[in-house]
Amino acid sequence: MANIVSQKTTKSKNELLDCKSSYWSQGNRFTVEMATTPLANQPSPYIKATYDENAIGLIKELKMMSCHNSEQVFFYFEWKSETPNFEIGNIGTFPDAVAILLPFKDSEKTPIKEMGTKDFPTNGWYWRPDFEEKPKNQVAHGLATSIYTKDSSLFSTSKWENGLWKVVIGRSLKVNEEAVNFEPGMKTVIGFAAWEGGNGERGGVKAFSKEWLEFELQA
Amino acid sequence: MAIDDSKLTDREKELANEFTATKDQLRKVDKQVAMVMDLNKCVGCQLCSMACKTLWTSLEGREYMWWNKVNTQPGKGSPKDWERMGGGYKVLFGGKVRDPVRGKLPTKKEFGDMWKYNWDGVVNSKAGDVHLQPKNDDGTEPDWGMNWDEDQGGGEYPNAFYFYLPRICNHCAYPACVDACPRNALYKREEDGAVVVDQERCKGYRFCLEACPYKVIYFNFIKKVSMKCIFCYPRLEQGVPNACARQCTGRVRWVGMRDEPNSLIYKLVKVWKVALPLHPEYGTEPNVFYVPPLSPPRLDENGKLDPSKARIPMKYLRYLFGPEVENALDTMNKEMEKVRKGGKSELMEILIAREWKKMFEPFTTDPATLDRKPSSIK
Repeated sequence: MANIVSQKTTKSKNELLDCKSSYWSQGNRFTVEMATTPLANQPSPYIKATYDENAIGLIKELKMMSCHNSEQVFFYFEWKSETPNFEIGNIGTFPDAVAILLPFKDSEKTPIKEMGTKDFPTNGWYWRPDFEEKPKNQVAHGLATSIYTKDSSLFSTSKWENGLWKVVIGRSLKVNEEAVNFEPGMKTVIGFAAWEGGNGERGGVKAFSKEWLEFELQA
Repeated sequence: MAIDDSKLTDREKELANEFTATKDQLRKVDKQVAMVMDLNKCVGCQLCSMACKTLWTSLEGREYMWWNKVNTQPGKGSPKDWERMGGGYKVLFGGKVRDPVRGKLPTKKEFGDMWKYNWDGVVNSKAGDVHLQPKNDDGTEPDWGMNWDEDQGGGEYPNAFYFYLPRICNHCAYPACVDACPRNALYKREEDGAVVVDQERCKGYRFCLEACPYKVIYFNFIKKVSMKCIFCYPRLEQGVPNACARQCTGRVRWVGMRDEPNSLIYKLVKVWKVALPLHPEYGTEPNVFYVPPLSPPRLDENGKLDPSKARIPMKYLRYLFGPEVENALDTMNKEMEKVRKGGKSELMEILIAREWKKMFEPFTTDPATLDRKPSSIK
């Protein structure tokens, strides 16, 4: 049994894309435990030497669900954030964010802590409120190498209220840009990252799911 | 806080070595351009600032940036109180270890916004009814700017003093910004050592703004990337000196190759040792150097000149330029005395700069002679 199953549904894209849809409030949520990214792995000597691992990675857990309607796949996230940060602020604040990470190839040889390697890259789906519901698709060949692809087929809706972010990120199962494609019945692994922008978290200064989690699209 | 290297896994050690090698590569240069500014000549006219602004920072989120600025010393500078914002390195074991120092992220208001004026209100009202008033981008009243404390200076009458300090990016040999960027977006150009930001790699994390101890990197809130002085490298590539240097009416600035023994920069920095980096204790090894300001003697309490003390306190100059400043001023005083007595001084000839173009060798091309038609620009 996979850790996370993307349930098959007949609901429409419009319904599933709505982060306030009843679909997302009724199902079973998976709790992803998050940990601070290790400073030892930071490509920046400055961050490594001057940041405090205990003071970053404030998002300790994500509640999430996934489903697909045989055409598109959707991920729903919910996490606590006392105050929303919508954009790159003037005074040391950054946008809140959440991201999905997927291995392109053999997950055993793709280290999540390093966002992949030269030979075993990863695909990131990166949501931020200032991306105006068009999350970025990115490819990484190891730490410090992630690059946005020119095109991104990702879409999203989001809402912050009462100290809670609710975000849905969706995409067609198959896309043309460099990204991991899906099909019903497929099994792979998945990882997550989240940033508390009010705490100055950005880049590698974040919380992440530490290990790959098994992920399956219901046939 | 800091990582305990003894607790790292083998893979983490391997990664750390890879990252160190990458940063070494990003700092590597074949040649290093440098600039010397003579603070005895700067009159604070800001022509350098305007030349830079016109060329590089008038559009698209750059309006509030001053890649070149002239601050008044002593003063809070810009961004306000930048000398208290940290960054740079603690240099240990004779330069073998550079320990990064946490810095503060400067805000747009601390730099000073590009003010908007109520021109319409003034022009379309009865004379005197509406006064000209600047506003920040967010509608608030400005309380800081690029040279807000102009001519305020320090000391007390009759020994009050001030001088100007033009500032650009120091294009350091050990740029804290290069080390800070987790994206490896900042690097030194191999061909001339200018520190630049790869605008494609930059994701706007602003660690570079934190780490730069001189606080000369700006954030473009529209493009969402960091931007900074590029030492006018596109001009240098055409043999034309930096806009700030060429525009300077006071013949304050020399531009050239730091390690070329025939260059005037080399003579001022390495031979005569009268050009010094600003705040050398920040540990980044700047490639912009300053000839420190001489000053008249202090007046004692009886109103008489005390030739043993200069108006600008040595303590303050040591704070800015390090302990070498005393020797530098000594050398200049001796060479001036030599000339007063009818002798010749290579140093004084260089500092007087009778031949303007020689200040920029080998970058002596007149930009007006270049073909700058749009079709010729690649």
